[in-house]
Parts: sequence; C-alpha cells; structure tokens
Amino acid sequence: MLTADLARSRTRNGSVEPLFIGPAESRYRETAQQLIDIFEDHIGEPKGDLEETIDQLTIADTDYKIVQGLAKLLTDECEFETVATADPQKIRQALFAKANESYPIVRQPTLGDDTQRLEVYSAVADQLGLSLEECYRGMYADLEDNMLLVRFGDLYVDEYTDEGRSSTTRLTGDSEETYAEDTISVDWLLTRYNLALAQAVLYDATQMRIRVWDHFNTVFSYVKLFGLMHRIYPIDETGEWVDSTDVAAGYEAILDGPASLFSKSRKYGIRMANFLPALPLCDRWEMTAEVLDGDGGSTNSGSLTFELDQTDGLSSHYSAQDEFDSDLERTLAQKWERATTDWELRREDDVLDLGAEVMIPDFAVEHPDGRRAILEIVGFWTPEYLEEKLAKIEAAELDHLLIAVSDRLDCSATDVEKVSDQVLWFKSGIHVYDVVDLAEEYALETDRQKLHSE
Amino acid sequence: MRLTFDDGTLLLEDAPDSVPYAEWDDRVDEYRAQAYRYHDLHQWAAPSSRDQQTLAQATMASEPLEDDARAYSDLALSPAVAIEPRGYQQAALEAWIDHDRRGSVVLPTGSGKTFLAIQSIADAGVSTLVVVPTIDLLNQWHATLTNAFGDQLPDDVGVLGGGSHTITDVTVTTYDSAYRYINEYGDRFGLLVVDEVHHLPAPTYQQIPEMTIAPYRLGLTATYERADDQHEVLEELLGPVVYKEDVDELTGEYLSDYETIHLEVELTTDERNQYEEEYQLYRDYVDSHDFDIWKEGGYQEFLKRSSYDPQGRRALIAKQRAEEIARTAEKKIDTLDNLLKRHYDDRTIIFTANNDFAYEISQEFIIPCITHQTATEERTDLLDRFRTGEYSMLVTSQVLDEGIDVPAANVGIILSGSASKRQYAQRLGRILRPTDDRQPARLYEIIAANTKETYVSQHRRQGVGTDADS
Repeated sequence: MLTADLARSRTRNGSVEPLFIGPAESRYRETAQQLIDIFEDHIGEPKGDLEETIDQLTIADTDYKIVQGLAKLLTDECEFETVATADPQKIRQALFAKANESYPIVRQPTLGDDTQRLEVYSAVADQLGLSLEECYRGMYADLEDNMLLVRFGDLYVDEYTDEGRSSTTRLTGDSEETYAEDTISVDWLLTRYNLALAQAVLYDATQMRIRVWDHFNTVFSYVKLFGLMHRIYPIDETGEWVDSTDVAAGYEAILDGPASLFSKSRKYGIRMANFLPALPLCDRWEMTAEVLDGDGGSTNSGSLTFELDQTDGLSSHYSAQDEFDSDLERTLAQKWERATTDWELRREDDVLDLGAEVMIPDFAVEHPDGRRAILEIVGFWTPEYLEEKLAKIEAAELDHLLIAVSDRLDCSATDVEKVSDQVLWFKSGIHVYDVVDLAEEYALETDRQKLHSE
Repeated sequence: MRLTFDDGTLLLEDAPDSVPYAEWDDRVDEYRAQAYRYHDLHQWAAPSSRDQQTLAQATMASEPLEDDARAYSDLALSPAVAIEPRGYQQAALEAWIDHDRRGSVVLPTGSGKTFLAIQSIADAGVSTLVVVPTIDLLNQWHATLTNAFGDQLPDDVGVLGGGSHTITDVTVTTYDSAYRYINEYGDRFGLLVVDEVHHLPAPTYQQIPEMTIAPYRLGLTATYERADDQHEVLEELLGPVVYKEDVDELTGEYLSDYETIHLEVELTTDERNQYEEEYQLYRDYVDSHDFDIWKEGGYQEFLKRSSYDPQGRRALIAKQRAEEIARTAEKKIDTLDNLLKRHYDDRTIIFTANNDFAYEISQEFIIPCITHQTATEERTDLLDRFRTGEYSMLVTSQVLDEGIDVPAANVGIILSGSASKRQYAQRLGRILRPTDDRQPARLYEIIAANTKETYVSQHRRQGVGTDADS
C-alpha cells in the first residue's frame, strides 16, 4: 500500500475522489516499464543504489508522487537482505574496541605515522578471520541502504558469484516457493496503483457502508479477517432494505470498529483500506465511506464522502473462496442432480446476522411453490463449538435453518447436550432424501417464487 | 458483570442497565465502555469504604465484578540510579501520588522529567507503557529505563516503534506506534506515562489514553497550555495538572558553561563550482517569481510551486544539493582531523546533520556511530560504553539531549546543523560538562565559508541568547 504522503486525491463539494491514472496512457505505461526495468536491473544490488536511481527519475518531474508511489508498490514486492560474511555488529564492536586503544586515528601523518587506520582494520580482520575488504564492507552491511535486493516479484537471486555479480532465476509454478502474485507487468502495476490510491483515501475513513449482490461469503470473510464490526441489512435489487434474508437479493453492511460506538474514529481506516480489495471480487458492489477532512482539532474537521462501485475499474488481488470449498458440498450437489425431487439445492449464500458474527450457510433448499429452507454443513467441530453455534442459532430464531453435522469424528450426538430437531447427523455423506424430509418439515413460505421468475 | 478487553474497549457482559459510562452496542448485544473507564467502573462496582462513608451510601449494593480485562502485572522495581531526587522532583512525585497517581506534571526542559517518571514507575509498581513523540526520544527513554530497571526486568525494556516490536513489563513506544497498536496492548499496562503530553490532544493520539485501561497515568511537559484549549481533554483522559514548576526558577541552575569556537572552511574549487551552479539555479527561480522567500509564507509558497511546476521542482532539488555540498564539504573532514588530533585524550561527541556523513566519519576515523537507523538496543549499548569510558568518542546525526541518559562530554564538534534554534540550544546545554574545573567544556562549529551556512549559523547564535526555547 501507499504511505499517506504518496496519496493523491481531490476534494470537491464535500466529496473526495482519488486521482486515478489511465492504465492505457502511454506516459504512465512508459514510467511503469522504466521502473520495472530499474528494479530488475538492481537485483543483487544495494537498496541505497536502487533508491538513488529512482530519485533521479523525479528530479524535474512534478509527477514525482506518481513515480514514488509506483516505486513503493514495487518495493512491496521486494525482499532485501543483509549479505555479509560476519555479523556486522560484531565487526563494529571489535573495530571500536581496537580503535579506542589507538586514537587519534587521523588522516594526515603526525610524527611520520599515518597507518593506524589500516592497522586497526587489519587486526580486526585477522581476529575475525575475514579479508580486509570483508571487514571494511561488512562493518555497516546491515544498514538499510547497504542491504541487497534479493527478490523482486518472482525473480530472485540464486547465488553470489565471486566477482560480486549475481545471477537471477525466475520461480516457476512448480518450484517449492510459489508466490500468490502474478509476474509483475505494466498492467499489473498500474491496476494495483489505482487500487492503492483508493485505499489511501480510506486511511482517514471513520465508517464504510457497502452493498454487495454476490460473493457474500468471500466479502464477509474479509470483513472478519480485517477485524471490522458490522451491522447487516438485507436489500433488494435496487438496494432498498427488505424484511428478511429470505427475499434478499443482496446485503448492505455498515462497517466500523468497537470504539466507533463512542466517537468518529479514524483508527479503523487502515482496516477498511485493507478490506477494500475484497469488493472488486464481487460482480456488483457499491461502497460509500465517510472520511474525516483535515488533521486539526475535532472542531474544524468535517466529513467527506468517498464513493466507489464496480464501474470504477478497480480489480482485486485477493482470492475469492472457491465456489464449492469442500468435497462434501460438491458431492451433495452431484447427488442432488441425480435425485428425483421437486426441491432444488441452490448455492445461495444468505448472510445471517448472529450478533458478534455472521453465519453464511452453504445452501438454500427451495421448492418451486416458494417454500425455502437453508442448510449449513458442519464438518469439523468440538462439543463446545457446536453447542455455542446451536445456542446462537436458537437465539436468532432461525426455524428454517437445517444443520447437517458430521458424525465421523470422535465426538458424536451423545456429547452434545442440547440438540434441536433441525440437526441432521450423517456419517460418510449426506443423503438427499434426509435433507428433503427436513425441508418439508421446517421450510418457510416465502414470496421468493416471484423474485426468481422475474 | 464480567469485564473483558475487546480491541481497545471494554465489553461489559451481563451488565445491569444502571451501569455508568457505557453505551449499548447493538452489534453484539452487550454494553460497551471506553477502556479508560476501567478505573471508574471498578469504583462504581465496589466503592471504597471511605467513599461509602463520606457519601453515606453504606447500604448501596455493590455489583459483583469479574475482571477479565486486566492483563498487567504488579512489579517490584527500584531505580538503580544513585541520584537523590531534587526538591521539586520529590514534591512533584508526592503531588502525583496524592492525586491517585493520575495527572500531569509541568517542568521546564532539562529539569529531569525522565528521572521523575522513573520514580513514579517504581512507586506505582505495575507494568508501564511510556509514550514519546519521536524516535530520538524513544531511544533516549529506552537507554534511561534500561539504566534504571534493566537488571530487574527478566525481558529487558520493551520497544514498540522504530522497527522494533517487543512488549515487556516496561515498554517505551512512539505516539504513532502507540496509536496503531494500542487496541491490542491497552490491557497490558497499569501505568501510562506520556512524555511531551501537550501533543496528545490531537484526535488520533487522543485514542491512546482512551484505549488503555491503565488506572495510573502521568503526563509530562514543559508547555502545558495549548492555544486551542484542547488541554482540557487531557484532564479527562490523564487527570489534572498536579504540579507546575516555572522556567525562571530553574534556568542556569543545572546548565553548564562552555566555550564556543567557530571555524570556517573553504569549499574546494570543484565544490565551489557545483555549489554556485546549483545555488544559482535556485536563486534564479526565486528571483524570477513574485514571492519573497525571506518573508513569512514565502518558503511555503516556493514549496507549493515545486509540487506542480517542473522548474520549481528542479530549483528545490538544486537548493537541497547546494546545502548538501556545504554540509559535507571535504575540508570539514580535514578540520575534524586536526581537532581529533588535539583532543584525542578528551571525551568528544561529533554531530552531523545527515546519516551518510556520520557513517563516513565512523568508517574514516573508526568512531562509534549513532543515527536514527541504529537499533535501539545497540544505541543504548554504545551510549553505555561511552558513559563507562570504554569509548571516548562518538559520532551522531541525532540530537542527544535531555537529562541523565546522555553521558557527559567535554568536547562537542558540530559539523553541520539545522537552523532550529531550540535544537541547537539543547545540544549545547545538555551534553557539555567540563571534566575538571580548570578547563571549560568546548564546542566547535565547523562551517563552510561563503555559503548559506554562514547565515544560518549567525541566525542560530543570535537565537540562543534571547529565545532559547522557541
């Protein structure tokens, strides 16, 4: 991500927008390519040299914020390492101890003797079993500027040859270390830059309101991952609130953090910035954030609005959860295909608000006449986990929620004190007709039929 | 009622509706309170017998309280610093203790605020977080706290910030790092010490005390009042000013005398040519535009222009390059060389204004070096060795000031410095002490002749006499 000083945005009429750059514009493509080349050329070289080369690009360039911003994102893909034959701090300590006996160590000859400096370095080199060069260079090899660039994206330093030159290798998909990132390219960089500009606006955000119409499971996993709190409201196609999740086309969620209860806090802005890339995983989404203006006292800082949606051309580097993330679920779906029943199994991710957390059941079981139940599959559990979960479900009064619980593990039905009739125990796989039986009993009448036929 | 620490707040499980200081959180269906209410909530749940008598509330039913929030320990520490507290330090400590160990102490710069903090940490006897504004101060506090308590802490003094992330029973952190992590560690400390506390009322930093459960709090500053009256916020979050000592009563008392010598060096021909070329670029730009760089707001105007005008940007870089040439002039090294010859038996600290120059000197003359890049632990170790006399020289690009952490030197050499009057005054006053009564401490300033540095130096010296604290 960008540091706050590299953020670029414009404020107008109470709203703030990032100054996105056109990924097709040739001047940006040229700069991006130039930077990527610089990084590749500096693999195995000191960080200070790399930064100096980048700075040279910005001397008479007022786009230096863009250049430095792009460079920051590339630096995030780098690893720097101290490369030294001996621990630099040990070398220093030995040098200073030796030097303290030999002061003054001065440049010009006094009384015909100007070799103290060389003597100190040689003595310490011998003491540590180093060459004079290794001793001199190693003294500050751990300074940030002197650390070497050892990996850039999927390019990394193989080994250091004797001439001090290094050879590089591109990691392939089947090597032991694989990186989530694609190979770094101009398009990758410019796309990531626009996302980073949007993230930077959120550093000062106090609250975020999102609306999503698909990929709920993924989105709310990321909400939880980044420690945001939420209030969730089911919405229809137009974004209007609706009464129940059963007729919801999407969800609106208001995201902030624990202390937001007491005052507008920009403490969670960084979490919102981290969360943002989850949204472009959805096909349809909207985001409105409240952003604090200015950093002065609480009196003169007002709120700005920051809006984004799927038309802004952002794309995500986060991974979406698999459509079917367990064999169990896939098997049930396949069995359902072959079974003869009017009930349909849908991969429909309702978001059920259980207070402190959301539950996103795996399936909906729907009848053409509009009856509907939801199905959650619990594969691995402990008695405590299951009891807690059941208690929450009971508290949420979700009568049409069916829970299929695996009996394969050491725990079994007898370990759990309170089990409602909505729980279906299974050993190796879930039987379609067991689910249908439960659905017949607990399904809820909805007017969903109309929604689907539209 | 059960109290838990949740991400910088207190969650009050099964709390009665009469619970004070709390808001109903419909996201989790429990009451929630700000972490700094921890002490108040305890008072409410179990009022002390004294309060009950005075308030005639002996019949009040106290709420049983299960405290799962507190994650800090009791400590038995005694400062390993064999210095008697000065009269006003003792008075300040007592005033703070009398105010239930909550509140701020206002003492002038250089009067041993750090020392007072150490006394209060020992007195409070609980895990402590010390919050300071800068990395420089982070390093200084680490050194001081290590001196005082290092041997008594099994896990040393913790550092959060400046690239370190170790949390121990006594931890020092910067405002920025504290703001970032306080929601994670706000339950780990019973005493919160805030240095330069007048910076705290910024909306972001304010969340540091808000998200901490610490019942004991100490603010330290030399300038408590803020123009915007925001210091009232401090009363709510840290407690009132419990002690105030005026500047006048202390000035001169503990500051040492020293003799200042200014040395000018010429730029080499190459340096002179480069300097003139770059400086001219900058002057031309400034002269051809209608703002006065020497007037108020002029420099800001220049900086603003440099952000959108390519020539302005080039002029800014030209100015920086010219300054760099003057700062690191080759002849300064020669002069330094001569001074080191003369003073090799003394205790010498060399200041530079940039890191590269400090490291160059360190390698050239094999002198221990401290910059902002030096890891906190190594920095403390180097200062310790200088203090014990194991090292007699030190080169640094940092301001080493304030109280007891900086070992005395009798020779200071400034190779380049910033124009900050305050920084300069502090550098001089805090460090130099004569080794014996016959010879005063000595400060050299080495300036490049006929450059802007000459002006800055004059400007700086004028400032010291009249307005040392600006």
